[in-house]
Amino acid sequence: MGFQPQRDKTVSVAMAVADIADGAMIALGGGLSARLPMAFVRELIRQGKQDLHLVGSAHSIDVDLLVAAGAVRRCEESYVGFEQDLGLAPAYRRAAESGNIEVAESCCVTILAQLRATELGLPFLPVRGVRGSDILRLHPEYAEVTCPFTGEVLVAVPALKPDVALLHAPLGDRYGNLHLEQPYVLDERFASASARVVATVDKLVSTEGVAAAGVTIPAHLVAAVAEVPFGAHPTSCYPDYAYDRQHLSTYVKAAQAGGEDLAGYLKTFVYGVADEIEYRELIGGDRLAELGRWTQSTEDWKGLFR
Amino acid sequence: MTQFSLDEWFVVLLARTIRPAETVFHGFGSPCAQVAMHVARRTHARDMTLIEGAMYAVNPDPPFIPPTSNDASLKRGAPYSMRFEEFFDAAIRGDVDRMFLSGGQIDGHGNTNVTGMGPSDTGFKVKLGGGGGGCNLAATIRHLSLWSSRHRSGRALVEACDFITDMGHRNPAGDRVDLGYTGGGPQWMVTELGVFSFPGGQARLDFRFPDVSVEEIRAVTGFELRVAGDLRTVVPPSSAELSALRAVDSLGIRRGEFAAAELDRVFDHDPAMGCAC
Repeated sequence: MGFQPQRDKTVSVAMAVADIADGAMIALGGGLSARLPMAFVRELIRQGKQDLHLVGSAHSIDVDLLVAAGAVRRCEESYVGFEQDLGLAPAYRRAAESGNIEVAESCCVTILAQLRATELGLPFLPVRGVRGSDILRLHPEYAEVTCPFTGEVLVAVPALKPDVALLHAPLGDRYGNLHLEQPYVLDERFASASARVVATVDKLVSTEGVAAAGVTIPAHLVAAVAEVPFGAHPTSCYPDYAYDRQHLSTYVKAAQAGGEDLAGYLKTFVYGVADEIEYRELIGGDRLAELGRWTQSTEDWKGLFR
Repeated sequence: MTQFSLDEWFVVLLARTIRPAETVFHGFGSPCAQVAMHVARRTHARDMTLIEGAMYAVNPDPPFIPPTSNDASLKRGAPYSMRFEEFFDAAIRGDVDRMFLSGGQIDGHGNTNVTGMGPSDTGFKVKLGGGGGGCNLAATIRHLSLWSSRHRSGRALVEACDFITDMGHRNPAGDRVDLGYTGGGPQWMVTELGVFSFPGGQARLDFRFPDVSVEEIRAVTGFELRVAGDLRTVVPPSSAELSALRAVDSLGIRRGEFAAAELDRVFDHDPAMGCAC
């Protein structure tokens, strides 16, 4: 919030992350296996950030990896997992079961209402639902409010203002205009409700180029932008690449095993690479190119998911 | 097409909970419900409004169902995709007729637990993924179609959920009227053993699969099993339903929801079986 001046905002991923304080409330863009801000996630871990409060809708490897690295204090998402396909989020699950993280599980509509309250400059908004759900027990900060017009009792949820929103987009310009493909998930709401918005983009192009594709999030909401090809890997960023199901499966197996296996994953794919250039070299140009071949035929597309 | 398997029958039964002209949504990570919606739209409910979970695409014709709920394949052919808030606003104000919901635990009132097993104040014994939008949406969407593909485990249909994520017909805080909920709550619950309705807000077994007995079902049901006086066997799928299903889910994503032994349940198909559409 607070509009950003119109200037060149290009930075490196490391610079964008350096400003994030331990204990910060971080909004994660994208959802499930799509457009998660993975380059930022890897850099947060490399820089040893601690006690983070993560906020999001439905998430997977972003939250799980941060929890695995011990960077997280509180998780406030509507879901963390790998869907029916790869199952529960191993590190998140272990930390939740042992009490090593605060589980503040939330609900999509509730988070949306809390962000809208911030956008509207209001201290809270009422939501329908939640009453009678044990989700209430996880949120002592919620209250009840009686409608002055109808007498209806609703749950009041406080405005949520993330310190920083981490977004990934396929396309952007140096001023921070971003183009997204649907689903936008909560990215637009995070962009206008967060104190600071930083983004990675697969391709930095001219302003005309982003405008031609369509600006989803405007430059005046964005504080910094870094060009990181495949910055969402192993999640998808259409139209450029599908998600890397093999890699996610490798991660989930290592995280399930925990101990040395999980440490090995972190060592290889996070600590063992200095930056995203080395990360892409490690994954390999051939594999990354494969993820872009979904356009060739339905059989190629299906082949990525077998 | 002389035989069909349990997973196919199960999906067809879910599809039949959809009425023509309804606006229907499935949550993410729910392949059976997702495939069922496409089967319904290709057979008996061609005028339904199908909203893909996680993509919010309206009436897409995906080339296949991928193993993740927000892959771009799921918006192929959709003339329009809603924005996140556009869908949730519609659902909360009451413009969505039906949603599919499941849970690690489901009780006899149709409350569901997708959050975690065991006490939540000292850390969960088993932390599940979480409810997505269910805790709000279960309050306002007109009808809920519940499902469980793990009824036989004995751990899924329970006397009381350890944690209530999504409200059914009644929970310790009251019923839907007490809580000001505008939606009607669970209408059907399909399991790999039978189909329940909710007369008076309580689950009742209306149909069983032909290869399971009421006694077997009772033994793995945690709440007291009510059985319809005219208990019937589930109606077999039609050729049209089976071919729609096989065309939509060519990767067989739906099968991931079942224990291996359930997938061995194979039934003979009567080609004279009419179309349900």
